[in-house]
Amino acid sequence: MNTLHETQRRFTNYALRNLGQALATEGIKGNGLDVAQRLAIYRNNTQLGLTEALRDGYPVVNKLVGTEFFNHLALSFIRHYPPKAGCLLSFGGQFADFIADFQPAEGLPYLPDTARLEWFWHEAFHEADVIALDITRLAKVDPNCYGNLGFTLHPSARLLASDYPVLRIWQANQEGFEGEGRINFDEGGCQLLIYRPVLEVEIIPLSKAEHLFLTLLDMELTVTQAVGQAITIDSTFEVLPVLQHWIANGLLTDFYIKN
Amino acid sequence: MAYVRLPSSPSITVSASAGIGLRPQHYGDVLITRPKVGWFEVHSENYFGKGGAPFYYLEKIREDYPVSLHGVGMSLGSVDALDVQHLAELKGLIERIRPGLVSEHLSWCSFGGDYLNDLVPLPYTDEALVHLIGRLSQAQDTLGRQILVENPSSYLEYDYSTYREYEFLNELSRRTGCGILLDVNNVYVSCRNHGWDALEYLQGIAADRVGEIHLAGHTVNRVSGQDILIDTHNRPVCAEVWALYQTALQLMGAKPSLIEWDTDVPALSILVDEAKQAASYLGAGYEHAA
Repeated sequence: MNTLHETQRRFTNYALRNLGQALATEGIKGNGLDVAQRLAIYRNNTQLGLTEALRDGYPVVNKLVGTEFFNHLALSFIRHYPPKAGCLLSFGGQFADFIADFQPAEGLPYLPDTARLEWFWHEAFHEADVIALDITRLAKVDPNCYGNLGFTLHPSARLLASDYPVLRIWQANQEGFEGEGRINFDEGGCQLLIYRPVLEVEIIPLSKAEHLFLTLLDMELTVTQAVGQAITIDSTFEVLPVLQHWIANGLLTDFYIKN
Repeated sequence: MAYVRLPSSPSITVSASAGIGLRPQHYGDVLITRPKVGWFEVHSENYFGKGGAPFYYLEKIREDYPVSLHGVGMSLGSVDALDVQHLAELKGLIERIRPGLVSEHLSWCSFGGDYLNDLVPLPYTDEALVHLIGRLSQAQDTLGRQILVENPSSYLEYDYSTYREYEFLNELSRRTGCGILLDVNNVYVSCRNHGWDALEYLQGIAADRVGEIHLAGHTVNRVSGQDILIDTHNRPVCAEVWALYQTALQLMGAKPSLIEWDTDVPALSILVDEAKQAASYLGAGYEHAA
């Protein structure tokens, strides 16, 4: 008889990584079947269950590579990065980086950023709710403090810059898409904001200057500091309409005066 | 133990009526059609996020129906330390949703920090019993409430088990104060897979400890000329399980009863019809609850 510890160690090694099948069968009743067949039911449940969980989170990656390739990719990922919690919401966060190093996917250079976009969408979907900024509060700020004004982004906000047209790739692979399906992967990259103002996640393309500006605000630089860098990319960058737009659309949810 | 008391809404208690598992596909339908079911059950871990649509809909539905939180990831039987983060998140969810029932499984699903996302049976030994008593007590103390523990469906058993599954579950309940969530489909599936006697199982389970019943559909697979039943939750409850359910009700009286269907999820009306069938068997208990 094995201890509970040894039973679980052997079972997990086999169910997740196909290792030590002979050891894992010890102590299990055959009861009309090969014990290996009974164990295989659990191994398949585990590996297929986790593969489906990944597919649910990465439907576009799945569509781009096809079911069979995705299964192969997912099994390899699961062996390296099995879930680390009983709640699967955090499972699959390393998938984009894993794809980038996954040799069979080398010919699909846009795939890691596509996966990144899908993960940001998933994170934004589950992030906390925040009440929009009351603009009258902003009106009360002492004009002498404007130089030290900073903004807090909605907790769901994620900013992504890619060398590939991942927004068009994402859109073309949504259910019911009827536009131009052919995309030239060398047509140039994009800068994206992913956030969830209320219930629905939005993906919004940004100019390079606006993307940099919002990224710097998110890094807790002041408006003045962020504008200073944004205009080095685009000398026509105008901060006021950008701030007004993102306050009105629930992205900038709070502000602070930096000391 | 001090835990936050929130203003109570009119219907926290899950009565001995028929409920259905709440799936995201049905959020809108439930709010519009307000189906006549007794209560809803959700998988706790699906609401471990911080906000957004899942909470928006669950809280709206909770305004009109009692809710039960059913966990699949606590890994009660694992030899790893109990995940205190998981417990903290569940406690937060309990405070937010104020469920009538909270349940978990008689199984394990993690080792060395790796999770299998599956419900694996334990050997039913004194070692496992003592281990589970400690873990379950810790969980109940942390949450400040009773947990119902569900009998799993299983595809293997250990030759060194010294308890029958129902004996093990009864003993666990007696020594920790936990309730029992009797999944009648799991009883049927496990009994068919291991050659156990389903009637003996139902007669053996401590009727007064049962706080909830689950009903679901399963799939019959043929392996090397032998039937193996897999608990797939992807079809209606079969006739044999309905019959066992009626036997269970005769033995233990009316209990909150749930229709679970979470793979290949059909239209809401089909789940509601299944719940109506359960309600018809609940009979007097159901009328009493209404």
